[in-house]
Amino acid sequence: MTKRKQLLIRIIICATVAGLIVLATMFASFLAPNDPYATSAAAIRQTPSAQYPFGTDNLGRCIFSRVLYGGRTTIGATFLLVAISFVVGTLIGMLCGYFGGIADRLLMRIADVALAFPQMVIAIAVAGILGGGIFGAMLALGITMWISFARLARSHTYSMKNQSYISAAILAGKSNWYIITRHIFPNLLAPLLTNGLTQIGVTMVGISGLSFLGIGVTPPTAEWGAMINEARAYIQLSPWAVFFPGLAIAVTIIVFNELGDLVMDYREM
Amino acid sequence: MLEIKHLSAGYEGEQTLHDINLTMQPGEILCIVGESGSGKSSLIRAITGYKGLQVTEGSICFGGQELMRGKRACANGVMGREIGLIPQNPEGSFNPIRTFEKQFREMFASHGMSMEEAQIEGAFETVGLQDYKRILKSRPYEMSGGMNQRIAIAAAMLLSPKLLICDEATSALDVTTAQLVMDELLQMRRDLGTGILMVTHNLGIAKHMADRIAIMYQGELVEIGPCQDVIDHPQHAYTKQLLESAPRMSA
Amino acid sequence: MKEILEGIHLNKIFRDGDSLVVAANDVSFTLHEGEFLGIVGESGCGKSTLLRLVSGLIKPDSGELTHDGEAYTGMSPAKTGRFLQMIFQDAYASFDPHMRMHRSILEAAPKNVSEEELVQLLDDLHLEAKLLEKRPGELSGGQCQRMSIARAILSGADILLCDEITSALDVVTEAQIVSLLQGIRQKREFSMMFVSHNIALVSQLCDRMIVMHDGQIVEAGTTKELLENPKQEYTKKLIASSRMQSL
Repeated sequence: MTKRKQLLIRIIICATVAGLIVLATMFASFLAPNDPYATSAAAIRQTPSAQYPFGTDNLGRCIFSRVLYGGRTTIGATFLLVAISFVVGTLIGMLCGYFGGIADRLLMRIADVALAFPQMVIAIAVAGILGGGIFGAMLALGITMWISFARLARSHTYSMKNQSYISAAILAGKSNWYIITRHIFPNLLAPLLTNGLTQIGVTMVGISGLSFLGIGVTPPTAEWGAMINEARAYIQLSPWAVFFPGLAIAVTIIVFNELGDLVMDYREM
Repeated sequence: MLEIKHLSAGYEGEQTLHDINLTMQPGEILCIVGESGSGKSSLIRAITGYKGLQVTEGSICFGGQELMRGKRACANGVMGREIGLIPQNPEGSFNPIRTFEKQFREMFASHGMSMEEAQIEGAFETVGLQDYKRILKSRPYEMSGGMNQRIAIAAAMLLSPKLLICDEATSALDVTTAQLVMDELLQMRRDLGTGILMVTHNLGIAKHMADRIAIMYQGELVEIGPCQDVIDHPQHAYTKQLLESAPRMSA
Repeated sequence: MKEILEGIHLNKIFRDGDSLVVAANDVSFTLHEGEFLGIVGESGCGKSTLLRLVSGLIKPDSGELTHDGEAYTGMSPAKTGRFLQMIFQDAYASFDPHMRMHRSILEAAPKNVSEEELVQLLDDLHLEAKLLEKRPGELSGGQCQRMSIARAILSGADILLCDEITSALDVVTEAQIVSLLQGIRQKREFSMMFVSHNIALVSQLCDRMIVMHDGQIVEAGTTKELLENPKQEYTKKLIASSRMQSL
């Protein structure tokens, strides 16, 4: 079997697992055995059982149900954020790369400055100022995330601009908008989508991380990072309340990161 | 001087040379003409013992000595001093970040020769390079491809080998520079009796330089003969096609 | 013969890091209607720059360009494309790798081009119509370059600017392209500026020749004049060398 084929099989496996995770969270309301927000004084910190597959937390809420619903928050916010960054970043990057000029230089310097700080440091500062909430967390992460798309789109556009087929399209009397949407964007799509895949894992860490620190999703909304934060106070009494949301984060991020890496390898072959 | 018998070779899974037979006399200029994919580069790689190429059959003798060792030719003893190579792309034959002076000194030392500046100056001039002192002080990465090519040619000439293999050595050069190199190669043969195995896609160059011309097509040597015979009375259909296609100066 | 294109005292300087490269130094030329004009010279002589200046893809620092007697200096290439089209050295790079040939080729064409016209043109260029469904990567270098000739002709432009269009092809394919160009010339009216380092090739194809060196025109004249009686030292050297490197 060729290396390419092996890689393709691994990509299919990864994509299937990733798809299952996304589906499970999307259909959380059908899959969850219990109401994720229903507290029960009778079932505080129960060990995993048939009724509560992952046990219960300090307020007697079903952890399995909360993990499913929490995934919806984390994954939903991640996809939305990556999609918005993709659109905004790509558009800015293509325009900068294609037209150049002062706007290009200015935006790219801003990008350089923003990239000089670790993404999480900026995100914590911004989310702290905004004072929590899922949209605050998304904005905080989005401030730096569009840059990776913009830089990628810009560099590809810039080198593509000098290709003869762009010159040919110009001489064919095609408008700049036509050239950007019909020639440049389709040729950019593959590297940008690959970048989008690799950004998913990073963003999940970001959202869960901010929630864990208490400046992302606010309780009682189910979210993996927030759940760990709540449960870490009584980790000795019921470790499963920390373990299962942690496992969910780890598995999801590993799957999406691996998928991104594999797709990138595949494209480079 | 060079004798190749029943040579077949190829890369993993792909045969690029089929049963090649040819001999070269000392001081002879043999031009191998073919287009990309004809196997002419593989032939050179077989003779110089290129690692990626596997010789499946045949023998390569140089000066009565068998070069084949297992799957590839081992030209260690003769490469450089006896057989010189001017590659198509000289970037591979120099270390990009060391000065030419150091690399030239090393090259001479490894062949037990002393480096004389006057000689170098002469060799540089013949390939159209002025100011040899400045060039010796510079490094390959600072030079254009054409400059590096001319320096590589000068280096090969300085060692005055018995057989000089030129792999499309002039195809990256401008026509007037290529002319300098061609003239110098002819001069070398006249003065030193150097045999030249020249690989080119340009029949015109072959016509003006070669004693004999060999035509390669799809890994086979389809025709070999004295220069004028091949040009005036081509036998193989492919040779005829090549001759028809090659542009001629006409008003 | 009518002058269809003229360049008058064109100058262009490029900045390369700290140094300046004079790519066009007071270049003047004329292209007559129906003429094949060859522009020859060695690498870096400014022949490709001249073509890009003429096309409008880059603007001259000074000097004037006229088409049919009307100045078009500084006109955007979207407009110059109506009367001139370029054919590039790398045929593959001159087509969008994601686009099928059919769509790429029709990009420059007027809206009322009929399918029959297209098929007829492809036939003149010895291209099968089914190749239109392919992407550039699926064609051979020669096919791809013939497609770009088709695109240029179909646009309705009557001036073709050819930038080393055969130098990436092997000798046999090169000869095919040249004889095709000579063939279409009998059927369709067009003029051509043909840039090449291959003087033998230009001498076979072109009526007149311009020799360039260091951004300047060294000598210009009919192909016959230049080959038989070159006046400048540089031209003599160039032609003598070319003779030694062609049949």
